Amino acid sequence: MSRREGSLEAPQADSSVSLLPPLEAKIRQTHSLAHFLTKYAEQLLQEYVQLQGDPFGLPSFSPPRLPVAGLSAPAPSHAGLPVHERLRLDAAALDALPPLLEAVRRRQAELNPRAPRLLRRLEDAARQARALGAAVEAVLAALGAANRGPRAEPPAAAAAASAASGVFPAKVLGLRVCGLYREWLSRTEGDLGQLLPGGPA
Amino acid sequence: MPAGRRGPAAQSARRPPPLLPLLLLCVLGAPRAGSGAHTAVISPQDPTLLIGSSLQATCSVHGDPPGATAEGLYWTLNGRRLPPELSRVLNTSTLALALANLNGSRQQSGDNLVCHARDGSILAGSCLYVGLPPEKPFNISCWSKNMKDLTCRWTPGAHGETFLHTNYSLKYKLRWYGQDNTCEEYHTVGPHSCHIPKDLALFTPYEIWVEATNRLGSARSDVLTLDILDVVTTDPPPDVHVSRVRGLEDQLSVRWVSPPALKDFLFQAKYQIRYRVEDSVDWKVVDDVSNQTSCRLAGLKPGTVYFVQVRCNPFGIYGSKKAGIWSEWSHPTAASTPRSERPGPGGGACEPRGGEPSSGPVRRELKQFLGWLKKHAYCSNLSFRLYDQWRAWMQKSHKTRNQDEGILPSGRRGTARGPAR
Repeated sequence: MSRREGSLEAPQADSSVSLLPPLEAKIRQTHSLAHFLTKYAEQLLQEYVQLQGDPFGLPSFSPPRLPVAGLSAPAPSHAGLPVHERLRLDAAALDALPPLLEAVRRRQAELNPRAPRLLRRLEDAARQARALGAAVEAVLAALGAANRGPRAEPPAAAAAASAASGVFPAKVLGLRVCGLYREWLSRTEGDLGQLLPGGPA
Repeated sequence: MPAGRRGPAAQSARRPPPLLPLLLLCVLGAPRAGSGAHTAVISPQDPTLLIGSSLQATCSVHGDPPGATAEGLYWTLNGRRLPPELSRVLNTSTLALALANLNGSRQQSGDNLVCHARDGSILAGSCLYVGLPPEKPFNISCWSKNMKDLTCRWTPGAHGETFLHTNYSLKYKLRWYGQDNTCEEYHTVGPHSCHIPKDLALFTPYEIWVEATNRLGSARSDVLTLDILDVVTTDPPPDVHVSRVRGLEDQLSVRWVSPPALKDFLFQAKYQIRYRVEDSVDWKVVDDVSNQTSCRLAGLKPGTVYFVQVRCNPFGIYGSKKAGIWSEWSHPTAASTPRSERPGPGGGACEPRGGEPSSGPVRRELKQFLGWLKKHAYCSNLSFRLYDQWRAWMQKSHKTRNQDEGILPSGRRGTARGPAR
């Protein structure tokens, strides 16, 4: 492994950190996990839209991008942030996703009770988001850049609200959550890839 | 007219508005302040309707600035734009829709009825549930594995096609006392099945029925009454061994063990054997095996691989008078009959190891002849065992004769090369 210039503490030196072999291995492992889960998130999204019926699966379908409590899409400015800050945002998003995915799963259990594979995928997605979030936080801790503030409480009211709304809005909300899950996984994969010397394996 | 009772969903399509605060979550259709954007509300929200019925719906636009127009709005259903003649503008902010003779819902999560602005953006949506109430489930059948549990299967009424999610619930209770219980483990042996794993009583009848419920109503099957002991089945017999019978190229010996779970109760059990030639799909069944745990297949083709299976019917368990339920077939066991120069007979049937006559045509006639001999010729020592011994001796002496006459090469005693000519 070649040594690069820069310091672990320098937030500006995104791609020029010097990594110890165990840390690099950990980053590679987490990056691989994010890559694998991104593909899984794509499958989840495809299965979700299929079961909601048209127009959800149509290329022209463009529902309003509703704000979801406690989680927003990656901002356009995300890519310009220092890598540690990006990873902190990734970890926060992965931490916010599980209760939202669980709320979607509960609603889909009412709407599509004979779709066990979708329900299982949603359950797995919540678990995987939790696991990847923990792995990203471990990388941040190893980099000395872990979050120091109090952790935000998950938005429980969002789960309850989705249960009370009409069916169509619930379908749209589920689509939004599955889409955010895919976006944040893809973003996490990209951000971790920038930490690796020479790029992803 | 569909059977079953009508549910409350068919009479009213309105739901009470959500009570949770909408600050945390923007629900599609809630007004937004100060943005200049429009949203809308579709009424009714998520109605349930019978196939063939009609729907009157409205899309009411509201937004900032007020006075949003209904002109230019349009409807889609499951992504397809609806003809304009089905819509009409009720007032400046409301577009109405009239659908007649509705078809069954395309997906169980509901048909997506959407109100669009002129530019195609989605203003509001509502999901339609169009279908039929359930019909009476029927044809309930149940069985108990080793007297420990109960599994039931049924057929949904109208072959299950209600176009709506229909919930089936298997209920059971002791006939003369006890409360209703609900089965909890569904889809164990197919989509319409349920498994009750424990806490079942013997020697007392149960009443079992199925309730079907969907948004349009419910229906209940007839009640099936049974005693667990009358519907017992068991695992297939284990340890099935098939082996050659010394000196006989047209027989195989089959042995097995009583299913262990009911071993001590199977006094009157019946067994059935089936066998087939290796490259055939036609099974031959032997069902007069009674409660033996061994049998001899006779009249087989020499030099042929056979697959053999055995199954058990624990009838008569604890004195039950019912027919009992056959187990699954055991895993196939293969064995081959010895080779022979002579063409063998086409097929046969089972002989119990005691040497009693069986049901093949040649052997049946021989049985009759032996019976007659015993009566009229005082040949009390004659039996099938003696006959088999004679056949074995004949085959051995035939091979020896062929070798002596130079038909078989020396040093290769016992290998058949074909007919003597």
